[in-house]
Amino acid sequence: MSARSFGSLFMVASCAGAALGCYLVSLRVASERAALESVEARIVTTQGDLRLLQTEIGTRGRLSQLERWNAGAFALSAPAATQFVQNSFELAKLTRPVTEPDFHAPIVLASAPAPVARPQLGQPETDDAGRPTAAPAALLHEASLKTETREVPVQVVVAAPRPAAPKSAERPVTAAKPAPLESADKPGLAAAKSLPAKHAPAHVVEAQKPAQKKSVDKPLVASAKPVTKHTQLAKTDPLAPLPDRHSRKDSPTGR
Amino acid sequence: MNAPTPALVAPRPERLRLVGQRRQMLAVMHQRLMFGMLVYAGLIALIALRILYLAAFGDHAGAREEIGAFIPDRGDILDRDGQPLARTIDAWTIAVHPNKVIGDKLTLAQHLAQLMPEHSAAEYFAILRSDKPFVFLRRRASPDLVEAVNALGEPGLALEREPDRLYPQTTLAAHVLGFTNIDGKGAAGAERAFDTYLSDPRTRGKPLVLSISSRVQQALEAELGDALQHFSAIGAAGVVMDVHTGEVLAMTSLPAFNPNTPGQATPDQLFNRATLGVFELGSTFKPFTLAMAMDSGTVSGPGQMMNCPEVLPAYGHLVHDTHPFGRECSIAEVMMESSNIGMAQIADKLGTERQKAWLKKMGFLDKAQIELKEVGRPLTPGSRWGPFETMTIGFGQGIAVAPLQLAMGYATLFDGGIYHHPTILKVGPDHPLAPGRRVFTADTSYRMRSLLRLVVMKGTGRKADAPGYRVGGKTGTAQKIIDGHYSQHINLTSFAGVFPMDDPRYVIVVMLDEPKATPETYGFTTAGWNVAPVVSRTVSRIAPMLGVAPDMNREPNMSEVLPYVQDAKQDAKKD
Repeated sequence: MSARSFGSLFMVASCAGAALGCYLVSLRVASERAALESVEARIVTTQGDLRLLQTEIGTRGRLSQLERWNAGAFALSAPAATQFVQNSFELAKLTRPVTEPDFHAPIVLASAPAPVARPQLGQPETDDAGRPTAAPAALLHEASLKTETREVPVQVVVAAPRPAAPKSAERPVTAAKPAPLESADKPGLAAAKSLPAKHAPAHVVEAQKPAQKKSVDKPLVASAKPVTKHTQLAKTDPLAPLPDRHSRKDSPTGR
Repeated sequence: MNAPTPALVAPRPERLRLVGQRRQMLAVMHQRLMFGMLVYAGLIALIALRILYLAAFGDHAGAREEIGAFIPDRGDILDRDGQPLARTIDAWTIAVHPNKVIGDKLTLAQHLAQLMPEHSAAEYFAILRSDKPFVFLRRRASPDLVEAVNALGEPGLALEREPDRLYPQTTLAAHVLGFTNIDGKGAAGAERAFDTYLSDPRTRGKPLVLSISSRVQQALEAELGDALQHFSAIGAAGVVMDVHTGEVLAMTSLPAFNPNTPGQATPDQLFNRATLGVFELGSTFKPFTLAMAMDSGTVSGPGQMMNCPEVLPAYGHLVHDTHPFGRECSIAEVMMESSNIGMAQIADKLGTERQKAWLKKMGFLDKAQIELKEVGRPLTPGSRWGPFETMTIGFGQGIAVAPLQLAMGYATLFDGGIYHHPTILKVGPDHPLAPGRRVFTADTSYRMRSLLRLVVMKGTGRKADAPGYRVGGKTGTAQKIIDGHYSQHINLTSFAGVFPMDDPRYVIVVMLDEPKATPETYGFTTAGWNVAPVVSRTVSRIAPMLGVAPDMNREPNMSEVLPYVQDAKQDAKKD
């Protein structure tokens, strides 16, 4: 009974509530719209300000002013036709690596290994101790080119001396054998004898052969003489000419 | 029992009848009430719906048309690269209502004279004591000044903002831009030509884009201005034009004015020599005569030989050359040494009627078709146009055209012979290229390349050469008419050049009015000495900006002309 009598009231209340809700939504929309419009208005105002500032900058940096500075203050001129490069290759040509001398670097003179005194063909190559270093067979290289052409007979001719090689190689091995045995009790002498053969050029060895009989000192001196020149460290001015004469005089080998 | 009692069927008692009536009346009342409520509710619903509708879709405070984009009071003018050339800004104005001044007028006048010294304190005092309601004291005042005036605290002083036209580049391209009058209406130049576009609320939001390139304009103005000063000329004009589209990239007339203060400009400064002024431009006309002759078939080509005597008697007059050949000479030599005698004979063979028809086709007999309103009408012999006038027009005397028209003619000649009317609007989607019309054949256009290159390589225009940019062109020295006679000393020198000559893209025309001799010109006032170097310097500056790459190894086909040049005389003294 009471519920039914309040039914219409509920109806009215819910209607009012719904209407109020709708109104609130629309109010909210309107306020958002107003806020948006104020932002838009601010954007337009800012655009106007930007224009004003851009105009001011443009006026202060006008081309005639820049020209006056360029021509008067900086003395700049337009680039000449030769200052343009056509492609990347021409651009790369303009630069080259800069090499700056490093004054503190140690001076290294060019050096090359002295030519090894080759034992005569048929003689075994020996090391410091006089032992043969390489098998005599290794001295010979066999041509490995094999063709099916008519040059085959030529290959046969080349291959012909091969059986002779081991024969000649075997002989020096036996001949050289006494050398290490001989020097075993006198290592210094053996070293003195063998060293020049290893390090000095062939003609030096030839020249010293007679002297070798007289004394062992000279071959030793010869062996102590460095192959490359004495390395100097820069102490004063590295660009000054090297005191070549002095170094030669002071050198232990003398002339 | 069940039978109705007589009392019951008896007529209803009065009370019952009354009850029935009341019930009936109540029902009617209910009906009416309900009806009234429905009407009322309907009205309310209608109002509510209307309010909701308005809230959702209606216009409300703050007019929406202003919002969206910034629309200036007058449209901007931009150059082809988008640099502003003219803008409308809100500037401060300082004004006074003399009758509303409440402070001491004498003190106020003294303060004003200190701040704005263009008037004396006495003058300000006179303004303050006058009975005028409103007087402008300063338009376009600086913010500092406005602040200082505001600090005076005088309620009679009015500080207001009003839209004002500003040209940020000051004198740059002043004659092209023009200026606006005090009411904001265009009074000259593009401001006048496009006044409706710039002021119409529908179109003014979109800036007007000119074909002018401000950097090219600046280079041309600077170099021409230097020459003007150096040679003490009374005026100068210059035009740079795109050969293929007819777009004017730079156009200047010196002395220039500042469009921000047009009131201070003299009539001489306001005069646009490039379009409004017409001048006898002299030998720069010769290539047209030769092209007409080659196109008509009266001249076979640069190798044709002709008689070039010391003096040519013609129709009761004598035609002279500065450096006469006195021998047989080829067409290439006539062009290279700018021989009047040779060119007069070529024009004579062409004939008056054909010359008129050609000049008409090239647009030299009418006003230049450009958007600007300041356009001069060419001067021709008119009814006196006889065979001798044909000869003189052949070498550029007796016809006066604007420098812009000369540039237009060269653009036609080197665009394969196709005429496009010149324009100061950038060619693009908004302003498509107008269809051109053929004037010369493409073959003639091609053959003129090497001839004009020859002039710069070996002839009178050697000082115009810009290394690497293959400039070709023609010098022109016209004697000015003083008191009805051609003066021997007062000249008007011009140079019309095209670059790069192996594939022509730009035309440059420069002109100096009455240049004086200087020590380094050895006393000469001919074009080879004063305007040709301007072209050289200008081209060196603008060609890289315009995308013309320098190349020392490219030339037009010079084998067409070089075999016909007997000896390259080393004098640039001649015209």
